Amino acid sequence: MPNRFLRFLFYGMLILCGFLIFPSGISAQNSSADIRIADSKGDWGYPNPYKHYPRGPGYLRMAWVFDTLVWKDQNGYTPALARAWRYDPDSLSFIFELQEGVLWHDGKPFTAEDVVFTIEYFKKHPYPWVSLDKVAGAEARGPYEVSIKLKEPYAPFMAYIGGTMPIIPQHIWKKVDDPKRVQAPDAFIGSGPFKFVDFDNAKGTYLYEANDDYYMGKPAVNRLIYIKAKNPLMTLLSGKADLVNIKPDMAGHLKKKGMVVLESPRGWNKKLMINHRKPPLNDKRFRKALAYAIDQQEIIDKAHRGFGSSASFGLLSADHPFYNPDTPGYPHNPERAEKILGLLGYQKNQAGFFEKNGVPLKMEVLVSNITVAGESMADRDGEVLKKQLQNIGIAVDLVNLEQATADAKVRNWAFDLAITGHGGLLGDATILNRMISPKFAGSVNSARYGANRELRDLLDSQRKEMDVRKRKAMVYKIQAIYADELPAISLYYPASMAAYNPNKGIAWYYTKGGIALGIPIAQNKMSLIRR
Amino acid sequence: MASASRKFINNDLGLVVTFCLAALLMTFLSYGLPRFLPGDFVTATYGASQVTLTAEQESALRAYYGQGRGFGHYLSRVARFDWGYSYVFETPVSALFFSALPWTILLMGSAHVISMAIGFVAGVEAAWRRNSPFEKAMVGGMTVLEGIPEICTGVILLFVFALQLQWFPAAGAETAYAEKDFLAHVADVGHHLALPLCTLILAYFPGNFLLTRNSMIMVIMADYIKTARAKGLPALRIRYVHAARNALLPVVTRFGMRLAFMITGALVVEKINAYPGVGTLLYNAIAARDLPVIQAVVLMSSLIILTIFFALEFVYRFIDPRIHHAR
Repeated sequence: MPNRFLRFLFYGMLILCGFLIFPSGISAQNSSADIRIADSKGDWGYPNPYKHYPRGPGYLRMAWVFDTLVWKDQNGYTPALARAWRYDPDSLSFIFELQEGVLWHDGKPFTAEDVVFTIEYFKKHPYPWVSLDKVAGAEARGPYEVSIKLKEPYAPFMAYIGGTMPIIPQHIWKKVDDPKRVQAPDAFIGSGPFKFVDFDNAKGTYLYEANDDYYMGKPAVNRLIYIKAKNPLMTLLSGKADLVNIKPDMAGHLKKKGMVVLESPRGWNKKLMINHRKPPLNDKRFRKALAYAIDQQEIIDKAHRGFGSSASFGLLSADHPFYNPDTPGYPHNPERAEKILGLLGYQKNQAGFFEKNGVPLKMEVLVSNITVAGESMADRDGEVLKKQLQNIGIAVDLVNLEQATADAKVRNWAFDLAITGHGGLLGDATILNRMISPKFAGSVNSARYGANRELRDLLDSQRKEMDVRKRKAMVYKIQAIYADELPAISLYYPASMAAYNPNKGIAWYYTKGGIALGIPIAQNKMSLIRR
Repeated sequence: MASASRKFINNDLGLVVTFCLAALLMTFLSYGLPRFLPGDFVTATYGASQVTLTAEQESALRAYYGQGRGFGHYLSRVARFDWGYSYVFETPVSALFFSALPWTILLMGSAHVISMAIGFVAGVEAAWRRNSPFEKAMVGGMTVLEGIPEICTGVILLFVFALQLQWFPAAGAETAYAEKDFLAHVADVGHHLALPLCTLILAYFPGNFLLTRNSMIMVIMADYIKTARAKGLPALRIRYVHAARNALLPVVTRFGMRLAFMITGALVVEKINAYPGVGTLLYNAIAARDLPVIQAVVLMSSLIILTIFFALEFVYRFIDPRIHHAR
């Protein structure tokens, strides 16, 4: 019996080893009719407006299924469900002429009533990506024309509503009272180029099938698949994915292997959040001393091997059409930083650190891994910053926290300094309101700064200014004041890249102004539309 | 008969009552502990998202996701197997849990069974060959291996076999939406399983080996083994039928305890291999402060631990009748 047992065990192990190793040769590769996109997180929620995760990758997974009135490609706005549009200042209305012959995925026709219904439904059941506060209502002016009336002039309308609001089918959603809980297949019926087939939240995979009846033509591939993969380089080179986000230092190797590498315009910034409510950080002069103490280029060089560019202290990068090139700057100048601290009454002690009235000047800096374009980024920004601040005599306690914990502390003003970051800088200039104004209390990336009245007024006014030239002048001024007040300090714009396999015949690109609100991810659905 | 009933009331019923009280305590802890996590779902999800909430939007969301109605309500829901809805996915938590559980069972179950089988046989053989070069090398090697954490082994295996040699996939449990027949699909699952499975086997095998060896050394010095030898029984029979069975008890205990920590024990390996099990589910739920999912996973893992400990009581009696008679 023992002999039999040992023999059984031996052969069992042998078979198991064979079973584990043998499939290496037959592991599935891509079908040419599929496009596979990989990222490291995988799950971004179910792809409908109420169930996707509220970050860029979640919106993109939804956008394959649900179309908007207009869309953006590499040149700017382009028709989607609306083939033409205009603004009527007299009636404060945007008028959209809709495409005819558009079908929902279940074969029912799309009409202006669906657009009207979408606006009413989103007003009743808010979709966080689209704020309809400034919309008075919508009216169908025929089966294929709709007018959306505003309460007051609203400059970001096209970016924040026309190009972001997914249109949902009235015949399905009119029966839904709790949109967050709806799970029926109907809830994924849209008018987009792909039909939703499956989402496996455990594996973080998505499957879409081409919508053959798409009003702009049948998509270039039959199936679109998202997979979760930890190593983008290997995933792309092994053919398991056709498009991945990459780290900049992978670019050279991938180019040699025949892959196409794309670099995003600067639409994402790493920044130093400042608790400007507590002393001494509530003093603008102290914040300026911090700015002079920080060497942006050193952070890029030491923590990111030189991949990235110094950020403007006015938040918007030179890639934004409203960027103010005359925004005040703070070139690295530790002597000046020390001089300012001296003027504020600080003196250096024997250890070389500043103190005031016997109380040492000490700052706690929160750091955590931050998600950039769907990828979690670990870096050494905190360590480099700590050294820079200590060099001028500010003692620093570096605290590394898990992101949700760090976010909660920043949200509740329970911090001194925190390194965080956000995107959206390629989209409409309303991002300045969202990242500066105290009205947007829910974002941990917002400076929530209301101490400068002129800045507050300008932020409010620029959103109402429909004249592009006048609005641009206001946005210039906002950047200048923000850079002077320094309620937060932008550190750098990291280099953000994607790579794809050109043999699939698809040319991916970064969207001008970012997708929808300004998502800096190279997954524009128009890449898969033959036009 | 009356004596047997009294014995059951004194012993087994007491055990059942203790089990129920512990289960109640675990349920309370699963309800209460996740609430101590700093931050909440709204901040974790929307705080740094593309969406910038106004104060009104934020409080509306907080009101929507903060509808918990106390421990009594939670307990009644748990009793009805209603675990609520995930905040992140807005789907029933049970569906999420049971879609992840098979992968964890496949990974952890295979790892436990294989590491126990080979650890047991290797331990018996090493003890039998005490002081031989084989035994010394095995004990030295296994002691070193026992000290290496699974995260370290996992990363090394990934680097060598996935990144450098590219023999195995670096992530996932199967090729997503590959159009294959059944056998090819099974092979694909096995191929994806290889690296996390080997990581766990390397983590569990040394402990099983050392425990069996030590236990076996004690047993083979016993008189009845000498008697068996004197009777001229085959060595293999003495090792496995006479000695190994009595050396089995601590190994079974270890197996049970390891199995009990099956859900949370897989967290590290699942995370580094992006394996879609309950560990990954729990990790993501904690990162997103998805309270219903955290509560369900914590509750289920603690109840599994409790149930396995409870079951072990009876398994011991089966393996070692002395325990049963001693009661």
